[in-house]
Amino acid sequence: MIGKNTPLWGKKTRLKSSYDAVIIGGGLHGLATAYYLAKEHGMTDVAVIEKRYIGFGGAGRNTAIVRANQRTQQNVPLYKEALDLWPVLTKELNFNLMFNNCGNLNLMHSEAAMNAARMNVATAQFHGVESHLLDAKQIKEMVPALNISEDITYPIHGAMYHPPGGIVRHDAVVWGLAKGAAKLGVEIHQQTEATAINTEGGKITGIETSRGKIHTPRVLVSAGGYSAGIIYHMLGIKLPISVLTIQAMVTQPLKPILDHVVSSGAYHAYANQTLKGEIATGAHMDPWPNYTTLTTAYYIKHQAQALSEFLPCLRGVKFMRIWGGLADMTPDMAPIMDGNDPIDGFYMDCGWGYFGFKSCSAVGKHMAAYMAGGNCPDILKPFNLRRYENHRLMGETAALVNYTPDN
Amino acid sequence: MSLTLTCPICGKRNGYEFRYGGEDKGPRPAEEGLSPRSWCEYVHMNKCVAGVQKEWWFHRDGCGTWFTTHRNTLTNLEVEEPEATS
Repeated sequence: MIGKNTPLWGKKTRLKSSYDAVIIGGGLHGLATAYYLAKEHGMTDVAVIEKRYIGFGGAGRNTAIVRANQRTQQNVPLYKEALDLWPVLTKELNFNLMFNNCGNLNLMHSEAAMNAARMNVATAQFHGVESHLLDAKQIKEMVPALNISEDITYPIHGAMYHPPGGIVRHDAVVWGLAKGAAKLGVEIHQQTEATAINTEGGKITGIETSRGKIHTPRVLVSAGGYSAGIIYHMLGIKLPISVLTIQAMVTQPLKPILDHVVSSGAYHAYANQTLKGEIATGAHMDPWPNYTTLTTAYYIKHQAQALSEFLPCLRGVKFMRIWGGLADMTPDMAPIMDGNDPIDGFYMDCGWGYFGFKSCSAVGKHMAAYMAGGNCPDILKPFNLRRYENHRLMGETAALVNYTPDN
Repeated sequence: MSLTLTCPICGKRNGYEFRYGGEDKGPRPAEEGLSPRSWCEYVHMNKCVAGVQKEWWFHRDGCGTWFTTHRNTLTNLEVEEPEATS
């Protein structure tokens, strides 16, 4: 039976005592990096080490939204590349990733917010990303279910519309990448916990796991929300990260009413209708660091209030499921991708917050190039850890959010 | 409820009344001889401990007190005595 003794992605292999590269974390960033290491750099002696099962963390908990209308010139090209890769990967992996480019509608509730959106739109257009502004009337024509009346808490002024974004089936990406990587020779070891990272004379020599010692000259930590804790615990390197729980939920399935991803910063809510008909919706983060994935009635109420204001047709619709995942937030809301500093052969790919899913394809490609050649690709250079001590924070956050004392 | 905290003045209250104030990093470093790196360390860097940590809280929707407490980040429960220092 598939799944019981044979993993979905291929043959079960024995854990060896040595690899050319070890990746800690069997999430999307780890699997994508492993896939591209094998595919584009001929590095097939690679092990992905996963404490639980692949896709346990953020890979299986995000709301599957993809887009490339971020704020800064360093970030937009990376997300654009990631967005452009979905149809490519679908073919290449021969696995239906169910990319639905329904477009993202980011609601604005004040003239000031429209001004901020103008800047985002200009950045997007400069980088060749389709994005433009809509007024309330145009929004209503596009999504008739939206309430554009003045009698809600935050009346809708307009929106930033990003047609090429949308939804990708997140579990399919996990399975597709695992299968694609395994086919090229990458080994995936579930139920294998990394317990230490060994160094000698400033160089990586290997890792310790719950199933024995592994020698390797290269280690990537791409363990999502667990990365910062792992990196401090095993190497004593502190990161500018706060790990918060973010909750999402789905309603009972409905007939098609929403054919765009709709999000609102003021309401702290985003929603889209899945192909199964559920309205999938997410909220803001619980504002205290923790490693639980506990859910709270507080956010069910919050989502119900927000949605029943700007999508009033959802009043009375029941929530069916709620779950939580971890978001590793940085002060500038941009990730940390770095390598060989201060330890040769040590690479990290973390601090993605809630942007890890939409970036995984492009990041895997570039992190693989970084690990294979040892030189940082230009596109990743701005994301180094030292930018914080050099006061080169990225400004990916337009309006500072209250989640840690860092801002 | 995912979190309750014990305010030294108001007692045990709903976690959503408080604002998290960060990991306890000791006293602010002296300005004399301060390097960008040590300032960054104090301002931005965290240990992200999976376990008990000492941390600051502000009773925002209450009495306005700042206080420290020990909390286990794996369970979201306050602990009386620190099980580990980190």
